Amino acid sequence: MVEKSSGNKGEKTAISRRRITLGILLGSLAGAFGSLLALLKVLSPEKKGGGYEATIVLGDRLVYAQGEKAGTPLRAAALKDGDAVLAYPVGKAQNQANLIQLIRLKEKAFKPPTRLDLTDQGFVAYSAICTHLGCTVSWVKNQTSPDTSFTECFCHNSIFDPTRGAKVLGGPAPIPLAQVGVKVAEDGVLLFTSGFIGPIGPQV
Amino acid sequence: MIFRWLDERLELKKFKDKFLAKTFPTHPTFLLGELALFSFVTLVLTGIFLGLLYEPSTKMVSLFGSMVPAAYASVVKIDLLPMGMIIRRIHHWSAMIMIASILTHLARVYFTSAYRKPREINWLVGLGLFGTSLGASFTGYLLPYSQFSVTATSIAYYVSKSVPWIGGGLSRLLFSGEFPSDGTVPRFFFLHVMLVPAVLVGLIALHLLILVKQKHTEPSANRIRKESHGGKKLIGIPVWPEQVVISLSFYFFLLFVVSLMATYVPLNPIEVYGPPAPGTPVMRPDWYFLPIYGFLKLVPGNLSLSIAGGKITPETIGGVIFPAVLFLLLAVIPFLDRVKEPLNYVENPLHRPVMTSIGIGGGVFLGMTAISGYLDVFRIEPGTMMLYTVLVPLVAWGICYTLLRLYNRRRE
Repeated sequence: MVEKSSGNKGEKTAISRRRITLGILLGSLAGAFGSLLALLKVLSPEKKGGGYEATIVLGDRLVYAQGEKAGTPLRAAALKDGDAVLAYPVGKAQNQANLIQLIRLKEKAFKPPTRLDLTDQGFVAYSAICTHLGCTVSWVKNQTSPDTSFTECFCHNSIFDPTRGAKVLGGPAPIPLAQVGVKVAEDGVLLFTSGFIGPIGPQV
Repeated sequence: MIFRWLDERLELKKFKDKFLAKTFPTHPTFLLGELALFSFVTLVLTGIFLGLLYEPSTKMVSLFGSMVPAAYASVVKIDLLPMGMIIRRIHHWSAMIMIASILTHLARVYFTSAYRKPREINWLVGLGLFGTSLGASFTGYLLPYSQFSVTATSIAYYVSKSVPWIGGGLSRLLFSGEFPSDGTVPRFFFLHVMLVPAVLVGLIALHLLILVKQKHTEPSANRIRKESHGGKKLIGIPVWPEQVVISLSFYFFLLFVVSLMATYVPLNPIEVYGPPAPGTPVMRPDWYFLPIYGFLKLVPGNLSLSIAGGKITPETIGGVIFPAVLFLLLAVIPFLDRVKEPLNYVENPLHRPVMTSIGIGGGVFLGMTAISGYLDVFRIEPGTMMLYTVLVPLVAWGICYTLLRLYNRRRE
């Protein structure tokens, strides 16, 4: 809207009046809707649930995470070479962040960067939450040579090497699964000996 | 008698002459949009039934002796009602058919170049309908609160959280806090039964109003017929009585097919998936999300870059940027393939080598990303599959383009 320079005064004021009205209209619209943006905050509550804050404490016993034995203590004798099972620290199953995969392999199978001091009698444990998008990882057992079994997330096929500190072998996961220390106690049940070494859950 | 009584009050005659005499095209591919609309009607009707019985809550309740979320329990109870499971399956099947018909409708409009001036606006409205329908499907995934629901929604939660800069706020806004928390199911229930359908209804109305205003495109054969006969009006059949009869028969045939499928083909068996559990079995999304699902598998994990404090991760690339780019490309098509004068005739796809070959290549690309969702089944490395996903569509495009060029040279 360019002002006409013809000197017709009435027309000029009409145009500027239109401009002012338009300005007021747009300004109030922007103001009204802008203040409504504050509602976004109200609509986004800080409800807890998905965040991964593990609460594993030294000495917590491991219990089965699922199946008929869910909640009962895990005994070393239950797992043979090449077996793996999902487990929680006892009494802390409400928190998905505590979910771990306990794996038993031959003791000499482990190589760095696996923390050997956090393994015991061939038992090693990693966070079971995929570092890609948070699905629970599964165990793909090689029946003929158990040491080449691996951990896979069935959601987008990230593959982790349990003998090398759950290093990412393939797929979209950005970082390894965090190791957590376990040992076999005198009565044959498994205990945690550390918290997670490194970040757990989706790296977003 | 009744007609005269109503006519004297509502001037039905005027309405009849103006709207019921509207011309409809006779080509069967012009029924694809109608198919989507009819599926939506079925979705609303079955949705009302389901919504009346569903309980949007994650409170733990007892079901046959075990503690499960109330939402899951209520859907199991729906399945146990007489006809309950069939209605739920009709709902799910109709959603699939709706997306399928939207896609084929989109393809028809693309390949016959019906998106060009003056129909750019309706092309965009149509894309909006497509996106909103995907949103409607997605918000419905969570409601039965089975292991499948929670896994699918959890993946989407982390994808939305991975968006640089705004991910935290965005994910809390969409999922009403973190997921899984007790806020998400009520939020998604409202989105699924109220907000998203309301947007759909609005967009459908707009889509149809623009269609009525602009009229549909006609086959080029009609142009020749009109030029030789000197007529100007659209050639086709009137709404009343021909099209109404066709459409109604079509709708009831659709209902018949969907009921048949719902009765005999199991779909989303939540009793098999079970309530949420620690382990995640192999599960794949419904077919229309396979491209995104497959693409998420292809993006290598070490591919991430930081810009101005925001981190673009593989999750963002696969789950946000990939679909956004697809929609953006579709949206700019009518503004790239322009014509000066408004065009009311469709073109034969065979006569448009560039656009048709690009369309075929794009379709093959989507097919390849969908197949990538099964790379674990075919035992293909993601890197190799990525290569195929790029190469195969290029080859398809090349072959298609060459063939069409040759065809058109011979034609001339």
